[in-house]
Amino acid sequence: MAEYFIARGLPVPRELERNPLTDWRRLSVIAGAILVFYVGLRITNPDFSRANPEYAASVIAQLFHWDLRILTPQNEFETFWDTAEGLMIATIFLGIVATGFSILVALPLSFLGARNIMSGHPVTAAIYIFVRFLFTVIRSIDVLIVVIIFGVLIGIGTAAGVVGLAFHNVGVLGKLYSEAIEGIDAGPLEAITATGASRFQVIWTAVLPQIINPYISFTIYRLDANVRLAPILGYVGGGGIGVLLFQSIQLLQYGAAGLIIFMIVVTVAAMDFASAQIRRRLI
Amino acid sequence: MAAVLSIQNLVKVYPSGTRAIDDVSLDIEHGEFVVLIGLSGSGKSSLLRCINRLVEPTSGHVIFEGADITRARGGELRRIRRRIGMIFQQFNLVRRTSVLSNTLAGRLGYRSALRTIIGRPSREDVAAAFENLGRVGIADKAFARADALSGGQQQRVGIARALMQHPELMLADEPVASLDPATSHSVMKYLEEINKKDGITVNGKVAFDGKPDAIDERRFKEIYGEDAVEVEIGPSRVTDSMSAAEAAALALAQDSTTAAAKLGLPDR
Repeated sequence: MAEYFIARGLPVPRELERNPLTDWRRLSVIAGAILVFYVGLRITNPDFSRANPEYAASVIAQLFHWDLRILTPQNEFETFWDTAEGLMIATIFLGIVATGFSILVALPLSFLGARNIMSGHPVTAAIYIFVRFLFTVIRSIDVLIVVIIFGVLIGIGTAAGVVGLAFHNVGVLGKLYSEAIEGIDAGPLEAITATGASRFQVIWTAVLPQIINPYISFTIYRLDANVRLAPILGYVGGGGIGVLLFQSIQLLQYGAAGLIIFMIVVTVAAMDFASAQIRRRLI
Repeated sequence: MAAVLSIQNLVKVYPSGTRAIDDVSLDIEHGEFVVLIGLSGSGKSSLLRCINRLVEPTSGHVIFEGADITRARGGELRRIRRRIGMIFQQFNLVRRTSVLSNTLAGRLGYRSALRTIIGRPSREDVAAAFENLGRVGIADKAFARADALSGGQQQRVGIARALMQHPELMLADEPVASLDPATSHSVMKYLEEINKKDGITVNGKVAFDGKPDAIDERRFKEIYGEDAVEVEIGPSRVTDSMSAAEAAALALAQDSTTAAAKLGLPDR
């Protein structure tokens, strides 16, 4: 290849000169990556010496030796909602309710966070930048940390789980919704504006029909993600079946823990299947 | 014959510094069929959009039936806009909704926002929509989704939507550029018909391939009718001695119901 350029007196492109096996730039990047990995390994210093294969094997056996008592109320103070399946159902709804709250907030905010809706005036443009900044900040805090914070603020339990999960999702859904608005065809907006329609009528007539499908798709995607996330929230004070899992493991009740994990796996798999079916029918 | 539209010393400078429209003045009479011609980038689209303020002019005035559009605000601007129909190169229909709802959208300027959400379209509006769809020959497609239609059919929906406004002036932004010659011809026929029968003034523009002085006379008349007359309009710097105002005056002096105005390239 290089001869083509040399024969014509042209400078040879650097891509052709470099031999990928000897190019020092490429080699130094690889060497750097190996160095970072090695230094990281030394700093984290994972200690595998305490791992006991026999103990691990016995725990795994216990995990499959399900403790079915958690499926029924064990004393007069317990109801269906204290059983594992009751908590599992409550946890699924925790994810659904949190998604619902986040839709209520993200839906109106998404219009304020769409450049093509807000770019007409300096004030609205400033609101746009603020809203998008807000979405980014909210999203940047991991959902587990958000739930821990709300556990402190409003008390440990399902309230912290619902509010924390909803809060995080305002950031995620807000961004997805806003980008859906920004991706619409501007032509109909122009045409509807030209008929003498008000700004609100333009949004209602020309924007809404274009965003309904992406909105539904993004919402199902987040609903799916939230129902997957909900079981773990109990570990950080967010209520739900995660609390029971946490307690079982702390009390070394691996038979109960194994059954709970199995229930979570089945739920997530069912959710996965259901959301794929719904999305396929809608789109 | 009074001018339905009077453009006075219109200037549009975009934030990027491009002078899209440089001091253009133009009078358009009732019932005229005016075609703006110019190279791509010469400011035809901007001029058309300054008329109904989809694009905000930098300075100058646009007087429509005695009302200064450039001064109008809020509700007043919307009341003027609803009297000016507009059709587009890309048709700009809401693709996911029905042909009927797209047509009914032409009445939005006459309806309150609340009515848009909770109300159903009035019987008169639906009747008018079917009548206008019938005029452009696609009443049978009223319940089809807009994106199920061919390009020519979509443009006819665009015309029907504009007719719903009972416009006194129709702006046509390259109405046939996305269509094949045969379809173009039928769409132009509909525009010609609303011009002749309804007396709606049509102000269209067409992009132009080649140098401005190389317009094919025969092709031009083929598209815009035998009455079409070409007149150059442009900043004096571009067209030598002729100023925009002089050219406009020349256009009006032509004893014809159809005049073609040609915009020059902006001064860069």
